[in-house]
Amino acid sequence: MNARTDLQAYKAHSMSRRLVALAIALLLLLALIALGATWGSVHIPPSAVVRLCSARLMGGGVPADWPRSWETILFQIRIPRVVLGALVGMTLAVAGAVYQALFRNPLADPYLIGVSSGASFGATVAIYFIWRFAWGGLNAISLAAFAGALLATAAIYSLARVGGRTPVTTLILAGVALGALLSAGTTFLMFTARDAFHTIHVLGWLMGSLALANWGEVQAILPYLIVGFSIIGWHAHTLNVLQLDEDQAQALGIAVERVKGILIIAASLATAAAVSVSGVIGFVGLIVPHIVRLIWGPDYRFLLPMSAVVGGVALILADGLARTLLSPRELPLGVVTALVGAPFFLYLLRQQKREVF
Amino acid sequence: MRSKRYIVSALVVTLALVLLSACKPAPTPTPVPPTPTPSPYPMTITDMAGREVTIEAEPQAIVSLSPANTEILYALGLGNKVVGVTEFCNYPPEAQERPKVGGFADVNTEKVVELEPDLILASNIHIAEVVPALEKLGLTVVVIDPPDIPAVLEGIKFVGKITGKEEEAEALTAEMQKRIDAVAEAVKGREKPRVFWEISSDLWTAGPGSFINDLIVLAGGGNIASEAEAPWVQLSNEAIIAADPEVIFLADHPFGETAETVATRPGWDKISAVVNNRIVELTETEIDVVSRPGPRVVDALELIAKALHPDAFK
Repeated sequence: MNARTDLQAYKAHSMSRRLVALAIALLLLLALIALGATWGSVHIPPSAVVRLCSARLMGGGVPADWPRSWETILFQIRIPRVVLGALVGMTLAVAGAVYQALFRNPLADPYLIGVSSGASFGATVAIYFIWRFAWGGLNAISLAAFAGALLATAAIYSLARVGGRTPVTTLILAGVALGALLSAGTTFLMFTARDAFHTIHVLGWLMGSLALANWGEVQAILPYLIVGFSIIGWHAHTLNVLQLDEDQAQALGIAVERVKGILIIAASLATAAAVSVSGVIGFVGLIVPHIVRLIWGPDYRFLLPMSAVVGGVALILADGLARTLLSPRELPLGVVTALVGAPFFLYLLRQQKREVF
Repeated sequence: MRSKRYIVSALVVTLALVLLSACKPAPTPTPVPPTPTPSPYPMTITDMAGREVTIEAEPQAIVSLSPANTEILYALGLGNKVVGVTEFCNYPPEAQERPKVGGFADVNTEKVVELEPDLILASNIHIAEVVPALEKLGLTVVVIDPPDIPAVLEGIKFVGKITGKEEEAEALTAEMQKRIDAVAEAVKGREKPRVFWEISSDLWTAGPGSFINDLIVLAGGGNIASEAEAPWVQLSNEAIIAADPEVIFLADHPFGETAETVATRPGWDKISAVVNNRIVELTETEIDVVSRPGPRVVDALELIAKALHPDAFK
């Protein structure tokens, strides 16, 4: 065998090993979605969960020997919550990975250019002015957060345009500046809220929670996630080049500015949808892509799907802790993701002794 | 190599579709059929948040989402029908033995559903998100959150009406009204001492529109924050020294503020309340009483009135 076929064989081998890893992770995610349905402050034994599910799927034939409330708890509270958690985790991780490549910056996360500050401001305005409307499965707070996130990102993107180009440094700086402005607005509204409970409500939203998740929210955000993920997945190879050097990408015939715009729109749309129903959950979008990169390397064709799966797993686990640690009370999700995620990431960083980025 | 792109895209889309197919919404459980006996039920009422709610039958299993609502339920003799309360529902003491459904703002919906309540008493804090979420689960929710003292009496009568305890509510509110009138009589015509109500040591206080401001006014006092622009405001040190309160209530006493610590603050040694030692250190129980729009609001009123006008209650 000559050297070339050796290399090809090695590449094929490493690709198949990664696909196996991805398949295992995917199974883990699906298993966790099932397992998540058995966690909660009301004890429903796993065997009852299985019987409840088979009764639902077969539409009868299974004797209903459980309290009726269990059906509501399982199908209208827990399962939508776990599914929504998985979707939010996937979105944050994928968007984080995209931004890290686009900005060639290891500190980039999905909130870098306005999504969190815009969403927070929007949600705060809705809480402050006691907006009550609802549309398409989302309440006023979610809708205002979604609109706020998109408007802030659009504003930052257009402000950062310099002579037909959007340099990443300008983009980051515009993001920091507008983010500070919006955060000041959020704090101002919190501070001047007529009722103390509005302040508590905003604070709770800012720290993230899936406590009131429902199918309406899942269905409302799913189209944005599918569109966003598809566009991002399509550009996986481009991201491989972009994460190294924009000039080189240009030289290879990639329309850098156009692709950058498309990817920012796709990632922001998906993140805005996720954040609008979950609040600002930190750390997942920053760390999950790094974990995947540390273990399996920086190839975006693998990094993107793997980040999605690991992100979903991470958020389901974090939400499981959030709702069981202090049961029947709940911890803010953002607190758990940072509390558990940071030490785990530091541990991984020490273990690997490998360049992270 | 390009085909790998398709693989990834296809993978992501497939995963999304798998999840989508898992999202069939479950039908809402059918409501309990109304009882055929002649009764005021089903009863359609407008709750204190202006929401129209239909109560199908006399409630037999009630979940309370606020300490004040728990106190109202027990005061009306409905304690045996209370099936769930919050972590903060500590009065009457037996309420603490009921299953907990969460904190104040954070309500654990699955715990509520498990208790199969036919009536949930919520408060303002729940209107935006918790109430719609519970209604989506097919539950009956009524918001009771009186903004001032007269509304507390209305709130108690309202709970009495929807739970079939109208007579008990009439008796209780009549007794409360008698005590409120007695306080009004006792403090009538007396000079109104200037009051600073300290919520926290960074000088947050209660302004107009707050429950505490109402109590201070009814108890014959003058709140130094009565000109403030919001119910909860933070005053500056200078503003308090300039207003020279004659009586200071320390609602942050359980967090360590005392007459002594207050006296050591810069400039406070000249404040009348400090000079004349008229500083009221509130206990945790007293703070519960003054902050809950429930039956014990008259205890709060008497407590404040006695502190402001000790001579009037000899």
